[in-house]
Amino acid sequence: MTELSDDLLVAYVDGQLEQKQTSALEKVLAQDDVIARRVGTLKDAHRRLETAFEAILAGEEADAVAQPVPRAPGLFIARETLLKSGLAAAGIVIAAGLLLAGYGWPLAAPEFAARPAAMETVGSLPADWRKEVARAQSLLSRTSLEIGADSQSNPDFIAFQLGEAIGAKLTPPDFAAQGFRFTRAQILTFDGETLVQLLYLGPSGAPLALYAKKGGDDAAQQVMRYDAITGLAWSQGGVDYFLAGESDEASLRRLAEAVRSE
Amino acid sequence: MQAEDLYDSIRTGLIAMLPRLKRFADLLAGERRTGRALLSRALKSMLAGEHRYQRGTALDIWAFAEIYQQWLKELRDHAGQAKTDDASFERLFPNNSGETFDTFTAMFLSSLPPQQRLTLLLVYGERFNPVEAGQVLDVTPETVGARLVRVTASLADQLRERGPLPAGAASAG
Repeated sequence: MTELSDDLLVAYVDGQLEQKQTSALEKVLAQDDVIARRVGTLKDAHRRLETAFEAILAGEEADAVAQPVPRAPGLFIARETLLKSGLAAAGIVIAAGLLLAGYGWPLAAPEFAARPAAMETVGSLPADWRKEVARAQSLLSRTSLEIGADSQSNPDFIAFQLGEAIGAKLTPPDFAAQGFRFTRAQILTFDGETLVQLLYLGPSGAPLALYAKKGGDDAAQQVMRYDAITGLAWSQGGVDYFLAGESDEASLRRLAEAVRSE
Repeated sequence: MQAEDLYDSIRTGLIAMLPRLKRFADLLAGERRTGRALLSRALKSMLAGEHRYQRGTALDIWAFAEIYQQWLKELRDHAGQAKTDDASFERLFPNNSGETFDTFTAMFLSSLPPQQRLTLLLVYGERFNPVEAGQVLDVTPETVGARLVRVTASLADQLRERGPLPAGAASAG
């Protein structure tokens, strides 16, 4: 008879063994009735435990359907915060813009974030990618596609089109001295207003994005953080700017200074 | 994300997880009434202290850990845990007509210390890996693995000792 520990057999029953170990163990099971019976009993125990926990959850879910959580009044009163202020609206715009820029959706709560494939059954709330993508797509308009790839290398043409789009003078700033090269520009729309996105790439890391829209009075710089993304917002010369990237705050301030001095 | 949005996300997430949170609290407490009271206090604590939530942590891991910590705190404050009876524990399992009820496994779970019961729940019920289960229970993944082996083997031993049931007695487990 082969001696195999319960540690190994439970790992096998739980599906925790590597393929090679599993194959080796299954050869033993085919030849050793005692081990095979032990594995059979461990599988029975495993199945009973899973079934028991599923049964309790099924009961709780049935109760939840029968007695839904009151929306109001009560402990869980949903607050309507989305788009409640201009800043929040700007945040959504920027967040969706960041998604379009390839950063991912920075406003998504961690519990809604996609998890690694190996952990996807762990039980966090699933993200509804369609909802997030739809929000991002709402920033696109027909104008978004009118600056073609063939025009991206012509700064004067881009400056003209962007200026026309937001109704204010806007020249893509040159961040070459800071190590970022201009890659492309895009016109977005939010709440009926035109928004410009300028994308830059450094020698490594995620893109840097400068967003601009027609604004009001000059306003001082304000730092915002969305998970790994740091943003710097300010208003200058009738344009609202938002610079966003994975750079630190000091680096962003230096880049913003380059914009201010253009 | 602004704090207000994060706060709303936490509340929404907790609501969506309520059945799972109830199961966790009930199994921890060993019976429904005590479990619901524990969950209620833990939820109040979570909502009052949502700032404790660390971005990047899965909400379910955080919430389960908060309930567990609340239970530990109350255990220390009250210098011990009241023993729950088997009948109260059995009532955690739905008793719908036509469904089998595994009394044997229910009684086995009832006999376990709460920490071992939760280890089984997190891995076999919630499908957490040992690292995540360890985060909830504040133990190492090795401890989680050792508990799984010990408890599963113990149940297997009891099943073997009991032997096969006569035909028709399966529903009684």
